[in-house]
Amino acid sequence: MKPILLIFIFVSTTFANQYSVVISKKTNVTSLSVQQIRDIFLQKRHSIGDQRVIPLNLVGQDASRIAFETDVLGMGRDRLNTYWVKQHFQGIAPPITQPSHESIKAFVQNVEGSIGYIPSSMVDNSIKVIYEF
Amino acid sequence: MPLKLPFSSLILFLLSTYVHAYELGRGGQINDHINVGGYFSTEFESNQQNDSFTLDDVAVMAYGDINPMISYLAEFEAVGFYHKNVSDGSDGGSQKFHIERLYGDLWMSDDFNIRFGKQIAPIGYWNMEPINVLRDTTSSPLYSKLLFPKFLTGIDINGYVPQSEGLRYHLFAQNNRDLDEEYINIPNTHFYGLAIEKEFSMEWSGGGSIGEYITLTNQRTRFLQTNVKYDDTTWQLMAEALVASNEHNDREDKASLSGYVQAMYHYTPEHAVVGRIEHYNDHYSDYKDTILTLGYSYRPLYPISLKSEYQWHSQNDENRALFSFSVLF
Repeated sequence: MKPILLIFIFVSTTFANQYSVVISKKTNVTSLSVQQIRDIFLQKRHSIGDQRVIPLNLVGQDASRIAFETDVLGMGRDRLNTYWVKQHFQGIAPPITQPSHESIKAFVQNVEGSIGYIPSSMVDNSIKVIYEF
Repeated sequence: MPLKLPFSSLILFLLSTYVHAYELGRGGQINDHINVGGYFSTEFESNQQNDSFTLDDVAVMAYGDINPMISYLAEFEAVGFYHKNVSDGSDGGSQKFHIERLYGDLWMSDDFNIRFGKQIAPIGYWNMEPINVLRDTTSSPLYSKLLFPKFLTGIDINGYVPQSEGLRYHLFAQNNRDLDEEYINIPNTHFYGLAIEKEFSMEWSGGGSIGEYITLTNQRTRFLQTNVKYDDTTWQLMAEALVASNEHNDREDKASLSGYVQAMYHYTPEHAVVGRIEHYNDHYSDYKDTILTLGYSYRPLYPISLKSEYQWHSQNDENRALFSFSVLF
């Protein structure tokens, strides 16, 4: 029995989604597609239905940000840099950044329409998960 | 509406004093409502008549959100800031700053946004990224310089087509003269059009536009334009074409086709080779040319661009070599 339990724990921790895209519980949004999240974080779209959204990035090169950019945005660092340089000329700035996962969570809890990504282990019933990666 | 140099110097001084969170190529932030940046480019040209050096563009820009619904962008640029003819030693230039863009955006929803003021005409790819540092070659195809006004001083209603996936529209109109007629390729009094653009995937996109404009000399031009692009970061292929017909007084020219196809290969993220073939045909000006361009692009960082190219022209002995250095800051 013990080996089976250990295998189960290993498999569930290895293959579980590590990060969650979260939004305020006050919004009506229940889930978003990768394309929708991508458009929001690339500042192409600014709303979900009637809800104005505020994307939040983690500052720096944390593993969660790299995973988000690679798995959700589908863009490597070079391509993303090129994209934001071009957007700067068009008058579009990247999403605002927060210094930590804790501050992203607090922002999402308090500001309706804000959307960010945090480790799934930090998720509780004060925020709503709309996508996992 | 030129601005005097001391004013622009004052702007540069203020920017250097108050900007924070600065990042090369992405500008800096003065506060939550003002982001600033700018760019410059230098160019060296060698043709069969002479060799010349030009500090071509010097520009400053500011943009930001006034509130969640209203944003703005202002850009002032001096073109031909300094020019030196290396062959005969003469020099000159203009330090007048012109209004390149000055507009506001009223965001109602992702499907309905209103842009008003002087803005880049939303036609094709090349016209939307007109500055040296963002381009892949120092020169621009004649298609993008001579066949339609680069700017619109009017209104552009734009957004995503409802219930569509990645399909955007622009419905634009101008019924007045340009905000700064010294600084537009085709001064005009009327300019109307509809443009659409579609992202098919991360790599593929395409679009097209249809429109009409009337120049200050009362030439009426109608055009139909299309564009397609593939970009997987290693290879970039793009093509644009435009059919135009002109009417002036009682004379009506038959439609003419112009366009280009360009391929670029990045063999490292910094280094790329680029080739372009373009055909230009304008019955009104009676000018026709086919141009082959081969170039090399080096970007130590994306906002810093060093480029060289050679152009072969089918007419008028206009073969030339171009080198440029440009920075977006």
